[in-house]
Amino acid sequence: MKKLQESHLSKVVAAVLMLALVFTGAMFGLKAVQAVPYLDRESYQDTAEFYRLCRTFEDQIASAFALARQLEAENLTYVERQQLTRELEQLKQSFDSSATNFRFVVCNDAGEDVAFNLNTAEELPAPVHYARFTLGEPWAEELDEDSYAAVEATAVEDGVTEITIKAPAGSVSYTIEYAVVPGEQMLESGVEDALCHLYLRYDTATSTFSTWVGVAGSCLVLAAACILFLLWTAGHKAGAEGIVLTWQEKIFFDLYLAAMLVAGTAIFAGGWWLLEYYYHTCVEQQGQEGAWLPLSIAALCALFAAVIALTLRTFAVRLKGRALARTTLLCRVLVWLWKGLGKAVRWGLELVRSLPFLWRTIAGFLAYFLANVALFNEARYNALAGAIWWLLNLAVLLLLCRWSMSFRKLRRGSQAIAAGNLSYQIDTHRMPHELRCHAEDLNNISKGMAEAVDEQMKSERFKAELITNVSHDLKTPLTSIINYVDLLKTTQQDDPKALEYIEVLDRKSQRLKKLTEDLVEASKASTGVLSVNREKIGMAQLMDQAMGEWQEKLEARKLTLVTSLPEGETWVYADGRHLWRVLDNLLSNCAKYAMEGTRVYLDLIRGHGQVSLSVKNISREPLNVPPERLMERFVRGEESRTTEGSGLGLSIARSLTELQGGTFELAVDGDLFKAIVTLPQAN
Amino acid sequence: MTHTILICDDDRDIVSALDIYLSSEGYQTVKAYNGREALRAVEQNDIHLILMDIMMPELDGIRTTAKLREGSNVPIILLTAKSEDADKILGLNIGADDYITKPFNPLEVIARVKSQLRRYTSLGGAEKGPGLLCVGPIAMDDSAKQVTVDGSPVSLTPIEYNILKLLLSHPGQVFSSAQIYEQVWNDPAYGSENTVAVHIRHLREKIEINPADPRYLKVVWGLGYKIEKGANG
Repeated sequence: MKKLQESHLSKVVAAVLMLALVFTGAMFGLKAVQAVPYLDRESYQDTAEFYRLCRTFEDQIASAFALARQLEAENLTYVERQQLTRELEQLKQSFDSSATNFRFVVCNDAGEDVAFNLNTAEELPAPVHYARFTLGEPWAEELDEDSYAAVEATAVEDGVTEITIKAPAGSVSYTIEYAVVPGEQMLESGVEDALCHLYLRYDTATSTFSTWVGVAGSCLVLAAACILFLLWTAGHKAGAEGIVLTWQEKIFFDLYLAAMLVAGTAIFAGGWWLLEYYYHTCVEQQGQEGAWLPLSIAALCALFAAVIALTLRTFAVRLKGRALARTTLLCRVLVWLWKGLGKAVRWGLELVRSLPFLWRTIAGFLAYFLANVALFNEARYNALAGAIWWLLNLAVLLLLCRWSMSFRKLRRGSQAIAAGNLSYQIDTHRMPHELRCHAEDLNNISKGMAEAVDEQMKSERFKAELITNVSHDLKTPLTSIINYVDLLKTTQQDDPKALEYIEVLDRKSQRLKKLTEDLVEASKASTGVLSVNREKIGMAQLMDQAMGEWQEKLEARKLTLVTSLPEGETWVYADGRHLWRVLDNLLSNCAKYAMEGTRVYLDLIRGHGQVSLSVKNISREPLNVPPERLMERFVRGEESRTTEGSGLGLSIARSLTELQGGTFELAVDGDLFKAIVTLPQAN
Repeated sequence: MTHTILICDDDRDIVSALDIYLSSEGYQTVKAYNGREALRAVEQNDIHLILMDIMMPELDGIRTTAKLREGSNVPIILLTAKSEDADKILGLNIGADDYITKPFNPLEVIARVKSQLRRYTSLGGAEKGPGLLCVGPIAMDDSAKQVTVDGSPVSLTPIEYNILKLLLSHPGQVFSSAQIYEQVWNDPAYGSENTVAVHIRHLREKIEINPADPRYLKVVWGLGYKIEKGANG
């Protein structure tokens, strides 16, 4: 199928076949045209040609009578007489029954037959026609039904009208009754006169007309099929995907169509003129114009078909290739105009938008106000103006509604963003221009903020990972240092100084170990990468356990623990291990920095859904650092960093408390140091 | 009989230090510097215990442990610089018997090695009698009122003994200080429970190798105390 569609040969064959079919169809059509004068006639005696022949015969009979009368005149010369006699003879011969199929009887007004050419015992064959002539007038008057008004007719017998015409005095009138020998007899007798030819032509034309028309019609139908095939295959080409546009499609379609219309009209007009000429000369007049006439008419028909086919083909190709609008000049011009209009409108809008908002508002309001006043005035006399006034105000109301709805949407969006939902995006669809700009700005801000927060989280994670990795890398060599210092201790050292140095190494390496451990913990706690398993935890139990761990160490520092607990167990939701680390760090701080011989107070208070645990102690050294600074990393109450602490304890404690949803506060009042851990109470 | 210990770490100095400690204790040592070498060493030698780092090139400690456990139940102690809980739990789940975090105390290493070797070679340990309570290396003979850890007797005060007995008879169960007080002292608790915490700390110091990182007698912060159920061994 596709092959057939793409085949070049098939197209050529179809085109040639189409032309040939149109040509043939036209030829047969012309043959059918020959029968046109005889269509709708009862018989060959009903044709114009027959009447023309009859008129000739009537006139000849009239002139014969005229000649006979002239011969009766006495003052004729011999030559004249001879000439008239010869003419009369010729006429008589032409009316001889053996020379013509025309039969007639001439009667005078008295009803006597004065002349006839009937053979013996021959009657006038039906149908009989009548005519009348008056001597002295060289032509006969045919009698038909239209002449009834002019003549006084009396019915003689059925179907035959005897007509009496009031002839001028002194003139003699005759009636001709005539008829034609029936067709079969004409052929039998072998008399081939014009009547016989007419009879034969009529017979052929009426019997073959439908055949010629049928053949011509089929040819045209086949030609139409060829055109359809051409349209189907148009644009397809072997080896090319889709529709291929040819040079014809490069011409604008409307120009092409116009050219084809001109050519088609010219060809049609030429063909029509030739057809008229053909009809007139060859059909009506039975003239012979040679074969060139029908041939050229058929050729023009084929040419016309070719024009139609070409036009349809290019139309089909353009439609298939979706190039009709593109290759039509009118469309191009319209599109260009439309674009220009759009550009102008946009430019106008841009101009309005570039005005400051206040100006625009004022201008808009003034326009509205003036229109309002004008319309309101006009409305007293004009109902249409009143309707427009209503519509205008309704439109302004709708506009205001749209504004306020959009504004509400904007307001809700900014509230959501302010509440911390940075991923919120305001829907700017169908917002007025001003508000949309504002909403887009807000969207961009929230997006930017979300990105910044994301970035910060990422960098915090990265920091935590870095610290973990670094401390891990620190621990490996540290393990070797600790171990080899330990091994060094087991060796024999004679120099007491060496022992002292080893002791320093040992102490410092242990401190380094503690520092790295705290560093990892602090970074994990502050960046939130620690996992928190919150459970229901008994605070009294926890304090009890913490005291069990620390009591003896504190006592060794001459510190007394004083606890105060509310009645019964106090439950909180927390991660036991993390909470223990908080308490451990606080008690460790007491052990490190509290003045010897003082008391350490541990108080647990609950109320208002909160549980707070406070640790109070008296500092050994003056606390000249504000409490906020104390919670920062690597800050310690004393400036000389000689003691064992890492300076991370409070920072870790705060981070861990906050991880569990609690708050961590420090207070310094003179030498009194107070740490308060507050957690939400569990039921 | 001398035991052979495989030491595996990518840091050669640490391997040498461990070699010195273990040799001085009379053990034979085999050294390896990554997981593949460790696997090869296990095939070629009769190894009684493996000390292995987790973070190693080529084949890390976790994978090596998994491979070794396919065909051997030799005790494995993981050395790890990653002090994260997830790594410890993963190591123990995959078949390691114990772990030591870097930087380690040499005494702790030796104690853990001894403990693992004793359990590995004692083949089932002491026979179970009606009055015998056993969790991991801890065995309590109630009839003799005697407690042993890895076979060595531990001297406990009567209160410590009673607390341990209570916890051992309910492994895995958490007892709050008040419950322990009521059960051991047979007195209702009136806020004097912190003596329980002190006793337990003493008890932990006596039975745990590293009291700061207990393996058996665990503190459940904010809830109480328990003996780890199904503790290693």
